[in-house]
Amino acid sequence: MSDMPYPDALRVDAFDKVRGVQRYAADNARPGLAHAVLATATIARGTVRRIDAAAARAVPGVRLVLTHEELNGLKPPGFLMGGGYGFQSIQPITSPHIAYRGQPIALVVADNLEAAAEGARLIRADYAAEPHQVTLDAPEADIVAQADSPLPKPMFADVKAGEADAAYAAAAIRIEADFRHPPQHQNPIEMLSTVAEWRDGHLTVHEGTQNAEAIRHGLARQLGIEPERITVLSPSAGGGFGQKNSLQAHTVLAAEAARRLERPVKLVVTRAQIFHDSSFRPASRHRIRLGADTAGRMVALIHETDSQTSRHDLFPTQYTELSARLYGIAGFRGRERLVRTDVQTPGYMRAPYEHPAAFAVECCVDELAYRLGRDPVALRLANDTTADPITGQPYSSRYLAECLRRGAARFGWDRRSMEPGSMRAEDGSLMGWGVAIGAYKAATAAAIARLRLSADGAVTFSVGVHEMGQGIRTAIFAVLVRRLGVEPGRITLEIGSTGTTPQHLTAGSWGTATAIPAAEEVCDALLRALETLPSRLSLAERLRAAGRPYLEVEVSRRAPGQPEAVMGRLTSGLPAAMGPAYPGYVSFSHVAHFVEVRVEPSTRRIRVPRVVSVADCGRVISPRTAASQLRGGVIWGIGAALREVSEVDVRYGGFLNADLAEYVLPVHADIGTIDVEFVDAPDPRLNAAGVKGLGEVSMVGVAPAIANAVHHATGRRLRALPIRVEDLL
Amino acid sequence: MRPFTYARAGDEAAAIRAVSSGGRGTRFLAGGTTLYDLMKLGAEAPERLVDISALPGLASFDTAGPRELVFGAGARMSDVAADSRLVAEYPALSESLWKAASQQLRNMASLGGNLLQRTRCAYFRGGEPFACNKRTPGSGCAAREGIDRGHAVLGGSEACIATYPGDWAVALVAFDAVVDVAGPNGARTIPLQALHREPGTTPEVETSLARDEMILRIRVPATPLGRASTYHKIRDRESYAFALASAAVALWMEGDVVREARIALGGLATRPWRAQEAEAGLVGRPLTLEAARAAGEAALRNARPGHHNAFRIELGTRTVAEALLIAQRRA
Amino acid sequence: MDDKPDGRNDNPASVGRRDLMIGATLATAPFAKAATAQVTATQEGMTGRTEVSLTVNGEAKRLSLDPRASLLDTLREELALTGAKKGCDHGQCGACTVHLDGRRIASCLTLAVQADGCAVTTIEGVSPEDGSLHPMQQAFIDHDALQCGYCTPGQIMAAIACVREGHVGNADEIREYMSGNLCRCGAYAGILAAIQDAASKMRAG
Repeated sequence: MSDMPYPDALRVDAFDKVRGVQRYAADNARPGLAHAVLATATIARGTVRRIDAAAARAVPGVRLVLTHEELNGLKPPGFLMGGGYGFQSIQPITSPHIAYRGQPIALVVADNLEAAAEGARLIRADYAAEPHQVTLDAPEADIVAQADSPLPKPMFADVKAGEADAAYAAAAIRIEADFRHPPQHQNPIEMLSTVAEWRDGHLTVHEGTQNAEAIRHGLARQLGIEPERITVLSPSAGGGFGQKNSLQAHTVLAAEAARRLERPVKLVVTRAQIFHDSSFRPASRHRIRLGADTAGRMVALIHETDSQTSRHDLFPTQYTELSARLYGIAGFRGRERLVRTDVQTPGYMRAPYEHPAAFAVECCVDELAYRLGRDPVALRLANDTTADPITGQPYSSRYLAECLRRGAARFGWDRRSMEPGSMRAEDGSLMGWGVAIGAYKAATAAAIARLRLSADGAVTFSVGVHEMGQGIRTAIFAVLVRRLGVEPGRITLEIGSTGTTPQHLTAGSWGTATAIPAAEEVCDALLRALETLPSRLSLAERLRAAGRPYLEVEVSRRAPGQPEAVMGRLTSGLPAAMGPAYPGYVSFSHVAHFVEVRVEPSTRRIRVPRVVSVADCGRVISPRTAASQLRGGVIWGIGAALREVSEVDVRYGGFLNADLAEYVLPVHADIGTIDVEFVDAPDPRLNAAGVKGLGEVSMVGVAPAIANAVHHATGRRLRALPIRVEDLL
Repeated sequence: MRPFTYARAGDEAAAIRAVSSGGRGTRFLAGGTTLYDLMKLGAEAPERLVDISALPGLASFDTAGPRELVFGAGARMSDVAADSRLVAEYPALSESLWKAASQQLRNMASLGGNLLQRTRCAYFRGGEPFACNKRTPGSGCAAREGIDRGHAVLGGSEACIATYPGDWAVALVAFDAVVDVAGPNGARTIPLQALHREPGTTPEVETSLARDEMILRIRVPATPLGRASTYHKIRDRESYAFALASAAVALWMEGDVVREARIALGGLATRPWRAQEAEAGLVGRPLTLEAARAAGEAALRNARPGHHNAFRIELGTRTVAEALLIAQRRA
Repeated sequence: MDDKPDGRNDNPASVGRRDLMIGATLATAPFAKAATAQVTATQEGMTGRTEVSLTVNGEAKRLSLDPRASLLDTLREELALTGAKKGCDHGQCGACTVHLDGRRIASCLTLAVQADGCAVTTIEGVSPEDGSLHPMQQAFIDHDALQCGYCTPGQIMAAIACVREGHVGNADEIREYMSGNLCRCGAYAGILAAIQDAASKMRAG
């Protein structure tokens, strides 16, 4: 079936979303609900000596105040990257220790939100402060080489191929440059929100998440109850972008408050608090050394990184897993280090490693093109590869060259003049055209899919995946409609909520490559089962003829090469994904971005009026939502390159610009034309549906394309993000 | 948020009486876009609010008068921005309104309230643990040795370098606007130039208004400089952001020669900042690129950089120069 | 001179109402009430609640509220109209956009008591009663002008107002006047196309 393109189809949940009836967690509003608000630490590191909640408790309407004195029995969730479920290992408000500014120190619950907020404001704490440090400029003692750390190997070993250092030393052309990426925050517009309620010893949690199963199993661990007594409901998350990929620090607090009050509790973490109460993209710096011969063949790439982590967890990095694979470079050496800082544990934010890594490498590749006097597209095409430089294995599919060629034609790249500063727009502004490529691992997670056909023709389908705007519901509908010939109105999807099939983490762009092949397989299983029944016109008629009220089939599916044991991880809420290296091949999605920037000649404002992006994500199951996702990824790249920075005042720790006015996200007026196209060639080796991932790769390479375009417009190489007016004045 | 009582005033006099007699904790409430916002942050904690947003007498405005333009303090920013006479005859005034905030907020915010908009300094808004003399007099200023990228390069003091964030007041100060205010002791008129104070040693005192004085209207003398004017605003994004640097300029050209010029700066100073020296330097000369640049330099001559905001001196210089050229094209 | 916030008698020395009137009246206040609007009778002490009357999506509502409550929290928590969303609670994202007396506002920065006597329209109130969709809603579907959907009600309420205000002259004007509504998923291109499409239908309709 993967040889047939999918038709354009409307987003299936758009009808609910445009009417405002799609329910997000905080939309749970009803009488009797109590409201909770967090109070947070004002020091960057130390201990709470004394906490005074008397004024808070005295606020009319306040029903409960929880501090570490009340919550010291609550267990930690464990760290997502260390066998646990939480975005970090520590659980705030369970001890007097303060690891970072903004760490919650109390929860105030009241009959209404206003009273709870006032109570939280009145919480007073005396602290014993300790020295802290919050930037990459840390003493050597706080720098951990990942290769020498306890992090599991080979996953977090240094990536090596060939003799990079020798090849670099011998290279005719050598480019060496340092790049800096600031901390940034995901900031989905839906704030972290939980409604928790207990009924007959059973806890129900409403929370927008990418990982309902981790919340369920993590809460079970924290509360000391069986996972069977917990249901997590997340039919639709208001954006995730990596922030909602695990058990948040506030969730258990809402659950515990609801248990003590014996009434449902709603806890919405404020926007300012979210900057400190959940993960973020860590600050990182990158040293690139790129060697090439005079013919333009890249022969060596050395990529060394320092990336921020917390003092209590090692948030591992995999920047070089991407940089090693952009081109067919025989000599590669990566070295990744972590810098301990006094922050909450950083984590995944869209294209977490790949976007910063591509920024560093692709700016250097552009520099190489200029050193060689070679067209940047031609140089990239000349260094493409069919085999993975690290493992030597073939790619399951790689249409990067196709992305570059189609993009160049669509953009009109042949009208570009190479000389920096040589192109002018009609309005007199400097015009720059830049290109960069991106890639992202095509991962796959284990899944259980269940399909029920009722005799009345209704179809219910469940698989482990969460809808957070990427359009997975629409993609699943497309498969069910095509495979079963069922009307869209007869389909019910049960995704994002526990109690059906295991709701594995949806992240790392593996959602489609996990859910879609599983959907196809369970459809085939249903069709096979129906073959034994009397032949009739429709599937439902066969059931009725056989006197069966319904037929339910289930399939378990593992990624190629995944061991059987992975199903145990799947059912216990732990990550159960793999890729990009599978037995016999390596899988990546690819993209090429072409960007036009205009630099206003006097005040040097940078605008991006036009972007062309061509992506290879295998077979496109839902063309419409895929196009939207690709455009969204481009806008993320624009934001990351030109706007977003989480500011740190080293004296205070935490993040200073913790709101949506000062943390500058792109607005409508920042965004021009974004023209997208897909290669839409199936990758049948990775799965029968031929699908790879899209959400993350769509952002990878946008930032360097912008930086390269800025260089083309101005002659300036800017290697620290974001690029702002002060960099060009 | 601290509890408060709320009352809606029936007319201006009643409102003033209520605020005057209510004591220190009693405040006027207009559109609420600043006050309610800061109450949520704990930076404002009034005990009593007297709502003047619905006073019909304050809502009107007249841009057709031969001698002056009159703007009721309660008129909404969006309505005034869209006034066709203002758009045509005083584009700087219109632009200063529609380039501020978002249409939602401009539909709420009143002209008078907008003048009194308080700083966006993150240390002020953030509260604990930051030292802020504006928030807690005597506590110090975290911004001076902190992330001061957006802070003032003009008009700052040891005690405070918080930027005045408004746009409308900057345009008004270029046009010699005055404000009519009323208080328990009667009415008076203040030049807009004298409405906002530099922080000095008392940054918590931001204006020359008494707590129980209320802005009734803003008056702008009719002037031939209106048409060749612009409010040029440079931001970190193309819309819905505060100014890194802005310039309200207006020109009266005779042929190629500048007969009169007005220049005011926004986003760079602790209050709306008129640059009269820069204006004087333009008069009687052709407005060349060099002259525009020189005016920009003159406007920023006394600027003092901090740690991260020196670029805004150059940006401000260029913003003034570019604004002058935009205005010239409208002459 | 009718009612006084403090309940005291008129002070003859105070500034008279007539002195405070502005000569020309060319525009009217959006939320203007009759000049005899009640001053007070709302306070019930520091912890008291306040009676507020709203017309929400055409239905009269009488509520007893904490004076601190925002219009957004009132709509969501008291009236269970959860279409309007909270994304920042400080007027910085636009997700809470509703119409107050026909104009788009940030309901998170509007005190509910200030909206007393006003008409509020939320996303739940824009569809015709026959169950069909407002042209803007349909256009958002047709142009895939959304992803996660969380900012969508605010975008649609802003977009409807944007058309009614006449700020749809060209793409750049739409972008400028929609910039108060953040979309983190990045559906801006679809939103622009939807507004251009719906604008002509709204004018025709």
